[in-house]
Amino acid sequence: MGMLQHDRIRAALREGHTEIRVLLIHPMISGRDENKVPADDAISPPHFIQDIRCWRNGDEMFAVKCGPATAENPYFSFQLTEGESGDKIKVRWVDNIGQKGIVEVMVK
Amino acid sequence: MTSSIHPKRRAVLKRFLSASTLAMLASSGLLLPQRVLAHWPGDAFTAETVEDVLLALMGQAEKIEKTGVKFTVGKPAKLITDGQSVTVEITSKLANIERVALLVDNNPNPLVMSFELTENVMMPLKTRIKIVAGESQLIAVIRADGKLYETTRDVRVYAGGNA
Repeated sequence: MGMLQHDRIRAALREGHTEIRVLLIHPMISGRDENKVPADDAISPPHFIQDIRCWRNGDEMFAVKCGPATAENPYFSFQLTEGESGDKIKVRWVDNIGQKGIVEVMVK
Repeated sequence: MTSSIHPKRRAVLKRFLSASTLAMLASSGLLLPQRVLAHWPGDAFTAETVEDVLLALMGQAEKIEKTGVKFTVGKPAKLITDGQSVTVEITSKLANIERVALLVDNNPNPLVMSFELTENVMMPLKTRIKIVAGESQLIAVIRADGKLYETTRDVRVYAGGNA
């Protein structure tokens, strides 16, 4: 896990569609840590990505609304119809305290 | 050249929208053309029962058809040792899918995530989620052409995720 320090995106042309894979580096803290031992350890407040959006060449294609039960370092793979070499794919995330990030990739 | 904005208002606007703020906004991507999809649906994410989630997120909880959605959960399926990160894949051949919700009935808040699709998105969708310890039911609900389709999967998790 130690090597994953920045968000990553991959886009690949498949037959008739474009496959997008996104890995975002985020702790996704629910604020409800039942496994915490010892119990007097402070529980971190909720901190999780809420909104992820994907654009292709500036047009919005896809969005995910996340709750804190999304796994740490959220991973998504999804398919956009068609697509061609040179398409610009952009993903933006925003978390519950307003932090955000953008990852972009051009389809080869 | 007349402006519909009152001079005083314009001055106020100017004060708040300095050039540097605009530059910041532009580089952050906030000014990109956006199709307005729903806000983060807080009611749905804080609901404590599956039914309340569906009412809040889909506007309905009934007339669910148990067809049209397929699930792959975990590797191997049904036997999950680590509930902190469970791979889930959802496939469907339904047309005109508007929204896909992923729920775990025994998580403190059942709604895990909601995918908002345009006509440019195809299945499958793949992601990783947290599931609490014990036996739970994973639920995928698809809204297509105004109807709800559901598929469920029973799972048992040994070390629970902090969902």
